[in-house]
Amino acid sequence: MPHSDQRSPKEFTALSPVFFHILLSLAAGERHGYAIKREIAARTEGKLKLGPGVLYGSIHKMLELGWIEEAEGRPDPHLDDERRRYYRITRRGRQAARAEAERLRELVRLAAATFGAPEHA
Amino acid sequence: MPETPFSLKLYKWLIRLYPPGFREDYALPMEQELRDELADSRGFLALAVLWVRLLVDLAMSIPVQITRELFQDLKYTFRLWRTRPLPIVFAIAALAIGIGATTGVFSVVNSLLLRSLPFRNPDRLALLQHFFPPVRTAKEFHDWEKHSEYLADAAVFEEGDVNLGGPTALERAHIAETSWNFFSTLGVQPFLGRGFVPGEDTAGHNNVAVIAYGLWQELFAGNAHALGSTLMVDGQPVTIVGVAPARFDYPGKSVLWRPGTFSSGNFGWITIGRLKQAISWQQARSAFSTEAARWLAKTGPRARFIAKPRMMSLRDGLLGPVRNASLLLLGAVLLVLLIACTNVANLFIARTADRAGELSIRSALGASRSRLARQMLTECLFLSFVAALAGLLVAYWTTSLAARVQPPPLDTQSYSIVDGRVLAFAVLVTIVTALLSGILPSLHTRRVQAFGARASNGTRGSRLVRESLSGAQVMLTIILLAASVSVGRAFVHLMGIDRGYDAKGIVTASVSLEGTDYQQGKRQLPYFEEVLGRIRKLPGIRAASATEFLPLDAAGFVGGPFGLNGRPAARNSMMVPVLSEYFRAMGGQVLYGREFTAAEVRTGAKVAVVSEGFASLFGPPAEAVGRQLTIGRTDHWEIVGVAKGMDYEEDPTVAGEPEVFVPATAPAGFYSTFVVRVDGRAEDYLAAVRYAIRSVDPEVPIFGLKTMQQRLDAEVARPKFYRTAIWAFAAFALLLTMIGIYGIFAYAVVQRTKEIGVRIALGATPAGLRGMLIRRGLLMVGAGAIPGIAGALVAERFVESLMEGARPIGMATFASLILFLALVASMSIWSATRRIARLDIITILRFE
Repeated sequence: MPHSDQRSPKEFTALSPVFFHILLSLAAGERHGYAIKREIAARTEGKLKLGPGVLYGSIHKMLELGWIEEAEGRPDPHLDDERRRYYRITRRGRQAARAEAERLRELVRLAAATFGAPEHA
Repeated sequence: MPETPFSLKLYKWLIRLYPPGFREDYALPMEQELRDELADSRGFLALAVLWVRLLVDLAMSIPVQITRELFQDLKYTFRLWRTRPLPIVFAIAALAIGIGATTGVFSVVNSLLLRSLPFRNPDRLALLQHFFPPVRTAKEFHDWEKHSEYLADAAVFEEGDVNLGGPTALERAHIAETSWNFFSTLGVQPFLGRGFVPGEDTAGHNNVAVIAYGLWQELFAGNAHALGSTLMVDGQPVTIVGVAPARFDYPGKSVLWRPGTFSSGNFGWITIGRLKQAISWQQARSAFSTEAARWLAKTGPRARFIAKPRMMSLRDGLLGPVRNASLLLLGAVLLVLLIACTNVANLFIARTADRAGELSIRSALGASRSRLARQMLTECLFLSFVAALAGLLVAYWTTSLAARVQPPPLDTQSYSIVDGRVLAFAVLVTIVTALLSGILPSLHTRRVQAFGARASNGTRGSRLVRESLSGAQVMLTIILLAASVSVGRAFVHLMGIDRGYDAKGIVTASVSLEGTDYQQGKRQLPYFEEVLGRIRKLPGIRAASATEFLPLDAAGFVGGPFGLNGRPAARNSMMVPVLSEYFRAMGGQVLYGREFTAAEVRTGAKVAVVSEGFASLFGPPAEAVGRQLTIGRTDHWEIVGVAKGMDYEEDPTVAGEPEVFVPATAPAGFYSTFVVRVDGRAEDYLAAVRYAIRSVDPEVPIFGLKTMQQRLDAEVARPKFYRTAIWAFAAFALLLTMIGIYGIFAYAVVQRTKEIGVRIALGATPAGLRGMLIRRGLLMVGAGAIPGIAGALVAERFVESLMEGARPIGMATFASLILFLALVASMSIWSATRRIARLDIITILRFE
């Protein structure tokens, strides 16, 4: 059921980190599930390791939101496996990620004004 | 690729826990993902870490997905409901009434029949009816119970009302006088203090009492110093030795127990016993009937005046007719619930057929069959859940209504829907309801899908299913209607009975002189005359009198084998001591002769008025006047009048004993009640009568200040309630059935618009087409009526066995019932098909 949630990305305050990371990962190009997971794990130095349930649950929700969409399935060039589903980010997905980045930036600015700027900002 | 098949297998199995929608989409990628993970993690430790993470992941995401899909289903359900709210609201209301009434009635049945009595091992307690063990002395009785072959323990008690209180305030209270072992036989431990001890049930030793928990709270504010205090019972001091456990009020809501004393000729004792350990009920009963037969043989000719001795479980003895009526109502509400379920199923099937096209598209798009069936079941469960919540209100209302008209015999049996068993029953009923009303439609969904796009076939099938369901409703409705007619007739009969007095315009008020200055026999009559004198001076009073027994109140009657001129009657008669003007005050009819004069009462003249029933035992009633009313050879009253008999039985369907009325010489001997006939509404005189009685002596307790009509209403309140309840259920069933029939035909018209258009184009008239549909509907009614009559005949036996006075209904009534149903069905079909008359053929055919 793609795109059944009609809220605009701006309406989401504080995106869940899982969503944000998935969007970031897909912004770089189409990925299949396991690749997303590995990339996120690598980027967070192993701190965020998504299990299959949470990963596909999030993908399912974002498909519904219309932030990502399924790309045509194709064999993984490395593993040579046909049963992969690839996802790509949509325009709305980019908007959502940008809105979240903007929100985080504001937060950091606020924090800097309150506690002082971090040393290597 | 090194695979660990077991891990994968286990994971595949665990994935099944996800809801079907999610599983369909993501089971494969998730398995794939696990393969990747397995490939990446080598060694036992890595595998263990992977599994820990997997389990955490499953535990986190499964509930989320289930909630999501449930929420989606519910959202979808709401959208559906919004488009056509009326049928849904109606379905919920019908289910709420069905579930609620069933739960409410079940809570009554639960309290009365299932909940444990406040006694130890209550199933071993027996009530011996119409049987009098030797009670001339305490020793005689206790010897009898100790040597019983089948009872381990037996006790006797007698209930009564007394004036209770300290030296100043008097209060009417219901108490029990018992043999010393009453509490130990029941297996009840006092909450405080002790029960009675051997020897306390003999005169001179019996000035002790156990008081009820509630009375203890009221009089002593729950203070343990109550033990040893003194209370006045009918003017005699008794010492409190114990407090009964909270909510213990057997027998008959007693608030105080004291040992009685034994004497010959006390026939007011009621005997209860506990069966010996190793003895079965059957053995006990046969031992009892042997003993009863021996006892009856010794009793001699008097035995024929005594009802057949019976031994029953104490629970059955407590319940009497209440049990049967409750079961009857439970049966009726279950039928209503069934009809309500059928209604919901009908509604869903119609909608499934409506959406056959949409459903096949959805399934073609990949929505699985189980997903769709589940959506429907979710809707049913939710519907039932909403209905059950509303039903709890109905249940609460039902139980409080039942508590008013049919109070439980014991406080511990008070009806409550907040009871584990009742709530479990409600949940069960709700789930069964949901499944009943959900499974049929979801089976049907499967068929629709099996047919695929050729959904039009499905609608014809669905019509057949719906018509069968409606036929079943007709069947159930006929059963309920027949039962309601049968119960209703019993009630009409009850109300039509000539009671021998005119209840309208009578004020009644009881007094008790026990423990007052007028207690002595000689001072009673002057007190009554003084009160009556003052009442008669009030404006608007036509007649005033007093009696020891008021009609409807046969409790504690006295009487015996009266005769005429020494010739004994073939049956017992009851003796009613009354004052002058009694028949005028009651609106009774003196058929021949006259009633007593005030002078005759004052001088204690030996005169009597006999009832027509008594006089006719000896010949033409008119001839009784002037003869002698006799007991044995010594007692004589001259018969001065013959009056129409009054109905002294509480249950008017029971033919009472004939009455003989004699002047009361000590009017406060039993239950003395003033009866006052007034001009206009009796309610308006209650206060004035009370004031007149109090003005003579404010110390004398007045109770039961009611109009006669109120007493009569209270007496018939229970049968009236049963009748009204059954009528309401039957009417509701009829309404649901008609709505079902209406729905089918209104829907058929929409479905078959094209066909109808073609027929009209070919020359059929709208009225003719509607007639055709009515014929089809009547066929359905007929098909339901046949098993309905069969069912009603079976149900009738059940009703008759459960309800005193219920009359079987004959074929003529059945015929008129079915005619009535057919008429109502035709009307509902006629109005359901009114669209046909307005159809525009050109528009219809243009769509082709």
